Amino acid sequence: MKRIARPLRLPRPLRGSVLPQYACRKSTLQHLQESTAPSSSPPEESPSSSPKPSSGHHHRYATRSEVDDEVPELAKQPLHPLSLADLVKHGRPPLSAEALLSSARFTLSLLPIRLAHRIQALRNLPYIVVSNPNIRKIYNNYQHSLSTLLPWQGRTISNLDDEIRFTEVLAELVQTHTDTIPILARGFLECRKYIAPAEVTRFLDEHLRARIGTRLIAEQHIALHFSSTPHFDPAASPTPCPEHPSYIGVIDTALRPASIIDSCGGFVADICELNFGVRPTWEINGEPDTTFAFVPMHLEYIVTELLKNAFRATVENGMSREPIIITIAAGPPDDGRHAPRSGVVNLDVPRAEASRGSLGNLGSDAIAPLDDNAPGVTIRVRDRGGGIREEVLPHIWSYSFTTFNENDDVPGAWNDDGLHAISAASNGSSSIAGLGYGLPLSRAYAEYFGGGIAVQSMYGWGTDVYLRLKGVGKIE
Amino acid sequence: MPRLSLQNATAPTRLRRAGELGTVAPGRFCIRQQARYTHGGHHGGSKWRPMSVLDEWAAKEARPISLRQLMVFGRTLTEARLISSANYVRTELPTRISHRIRDMQQLPYVVVTNPHINEVYDLYYSAFDTFRKVREIKNLQDNEQFCDTIRAMLKAHLPVIPKLAMGILECSEVMGAEELDNFMNTILKARISRRVIAEQHLALTDTFHAPWFSPGAKLSETEFIGEVFLKCIAKEVVERCGEATREIARRAYGPDVPIPEIKIEGHLDASFPYILSHLEYIIGELLRNSVQAGVERHQRLKSEGKNPGAEPKPIEVTICESSQHVIFRISDQGGGVPHEVLPYLWSFSKGPASERLLANLKQVPKLAATMQELQVEDDKDAHGKAHRNPSYANSLASLSSRPPNLRLGMGLPLSRVYAEYWAGSLALHNLEGYGVDAFLQISKLGNKNEQLTTRATMDSV
Repeated sequence: MKRIARPLRLPRPLRGSVLPQYACRKSTLQHLQESTAPSSSPPEESPSSSPKPSSGHHHRYATRSEVDDEVPELAKQPLHPLSLADLVKHGRPPLSAEALLSSARFTLSLLPIRLAHRIQALRNLPYIVVSNPNIRKIYNNYQHSLSTLLPWQGRTISNLDDEIRFTEVLAELVQTHTDTIPILARGFLECRKYIAPAEVTRFLDEHLRARIGTRLIAEQHIALHFSSTPHFDPAASPTPCPEHPSYIGVIDTALRPASIIDSCGGFVADICELNFGVRPTWEINGEPDTTFAFVPMHLEYIVTELLKNAFRATVENGMSREPIIITIAAGPPDDGRHAPRSGVVNLDVPRAEASRGSLGNLGSDAIAPLDDNAPGVTIRVRDRGGGIREEVLPHIWSYSFTTFNENDDVPGAWNDDGLHAISAASNGSSSIAGLGYGLPLSRAYAEYFGGGIAVQSMYGWGTDVYLRLKGVGKIE
Repeated sequence: MPRLSLQNATAPTRLRRAGELGTVAPGRFCIRQQARYTHGGHHGGSKWRPMSVLDEWAAKEARPISLRQLMVFGRTLTEARLISSANYVRTELPTRISHRIRDMQQLPYVVVTNPHINEVYDLYYSAFDTFRKVREIKNLQDNEQFCDTIRAMLKAHLPVIPKLAMGILECSEVMGAEELDNFMNTILKARISRRVIAEQHLALTDTFHAPWFSPGAKLSETEFIGEVFLKCIAKEVVERCGEATREIARRAYGPDVPIPEIKIEGHLDASFPYILSHLEYIIGELLRNSVQAGVERHQRLKSEGKNPGAEPKPIEVTICESSQHVIFRISDQGGGVPHEVLPYLWSFSKGPASERLLANLKQVPKLAATMQELQVEDDKDAHGKAHRNPSYANSLASLSSRPPNLRLGMGLPLSRVYAEYWAGSLALHNLEGYGVDAFLQISKLGNKNEQLTTRATMDSV
């Protein structure tokens, strides 16, 4: 399909014979009344072959000016400060029909605005950056996803059929955006000459955090949906939702970090063995039987990244006989004696740079990211990997910083598997170093629910990483 | 030259300086001392201090030094060098004090009229007046007089730290915590700096007059150059502080209470030049916190019926040496810092705990007492060399030797000021419910300058 070159800024949209991809709301509603299903095709990899509404739009990338669509209006609306309470307020599965519909409506109320904010942010990147094919692909993904949701606005999801179709839309959304991070990473790497690292960091900090939230909202509803169906088949769900009483959607209320550490450790040790011929070991001490409420996927991602770093450093430092010591500390339960903890934590706001601390900055606020006023679980990963060089230390939280092949141009073929390792820890990745997004992304996940990560290096000895996770708390 | 007597350390003397009244230029900012806001020996009337003198000194830049300079300077000590050192101190002290006085003058009125802060203000002003009038030192006799003046000032200023701390706690209602902390950090750093150069000069003078000394003689590595201990062996410092801390704990808690052990691992040979009293203070405070936490947690678990084992878990100290730094990691299993305390950890304002801490501060034992009086007899370290026995009072020593249950809430912020003074750092990581990891980083080469505050934040009239 031929792409039409977009003019820079048009005061009025070019309408001509080309029908716009997403018309104004009124005609969308009209179209909705005409067609039976907004988008019911199975999820596909490429966003360019999106399902076409029956009214015959066929030019996907219309010449209509971007300033004239729904995005600016939606982006003006404030983001709802998401809390974990929001995700579990509809109840424990299996949900009643009413609860499921309520969840669907809640999800619908949040997602278009969130997508619009992202699109707006992308639109504000320099033109040359968004022209990069990789960035462009992500931009189009977002526009496409918004277009699949817009038809649903202005109509209430009031019956289970609608709910099923809506869930399918969500599933497609989740699937479409699975590889956003490696593609964005590649795009920004290619554009590094044209945009300052600080600007990239700012954009990505906000974008990736928002992405965590958006996916969480969508995946939660999908999981609730599937775990509420009469014959619950976990395999049918595109999102992990084991059939287990402790699960509420994607949240496991009885998640045992030690189990996650052991399974991720095995996986990372396998990679080490494959790449280095050595298999580092680890020990878990403290309180290994601690459990708390969290999203297993998130914890798996973080733990895998931290263990990758620890294992690699240990092996490269010739200390593979020394086990990596992982300490699990459970914060004491809230006994109600002290001032009530802050209620709703706004999960979408990235923490200020000033609060980041690590010995490299000789940061006097090293404790700041972990000072959340709530009980939680703290996991310390302690290795003998020789520590982090002082010159490197200020950069560990930057995107696309990796000590692996840093002189290469965009990482080559060997990293195609590596890309997938970033997005899903369970994929069969054979590389241990990726595109350098591991630490900042892990921190985004940790901070999303009010926790944080601090890195403390003793150059010449090893590194301690403190992962603080805020517990969800008691869920009735 | 009239000399102010500063022997009476409890009440600052108030003198009317008739000749200094009425020379204030129009538009200059003056402070009038209200009678009712001062305590101890004041007999009414106000204190009128002309600003022009202070302005002149406050306009000068402080000349920071590094540990290395201290060492190199003292390595080959001659009479000329000693006199030169005396004159450096003679002008540096009033310059640095004047900056702090100016800082204090910028604070809100209600803060500086707090009795404790006001006392410190007066102490500083007296010291400034004294030192600015010292004439150029030309010979050893002049130096002797000068050293007496210094000793008197050091002694008179011993109570400054607890007084400031009390003043800060009392003022936390009227001034923001961050501003108060900035003020406190600045004034403490400056205080360290003045005491360093003053004590260094006194130590050099002592060395010069020592019977075994001959001018130009080279000192061996295991000696002190003035106050700078050339070879602080990290492991030994930790062992010594550890033993001292455990001993104090044993005496305070009684023989039946088990005290956690301190285990040391890592680069055990690491050594570096440093001012020993500073290092001992910091490590002492960190170990004290860990020991206390360990003991109390153990007792608490026992009283709750859970079985915590025969002894509290040991404290693990790891020493790591690289080309530029030496890092001490002190890991304990004392249960960690409760999250409600965390926001106040590094602050001199303590929020809800202020009342209790204020009461404790008032009980700090007389600060003129030296380490020797309060500690166990045997002072000699492992190699049989006598431990430093300063002829002047060491304000840190008595803070270090207070009983463990006398919590002042200052240990961490004050330790950090000391750590950062020579461009090092102190960081803490909390594992709530388990323990704390403290990281002290020291610059090994001694070539970093003192971190004094720049004058950028000051109003230069």
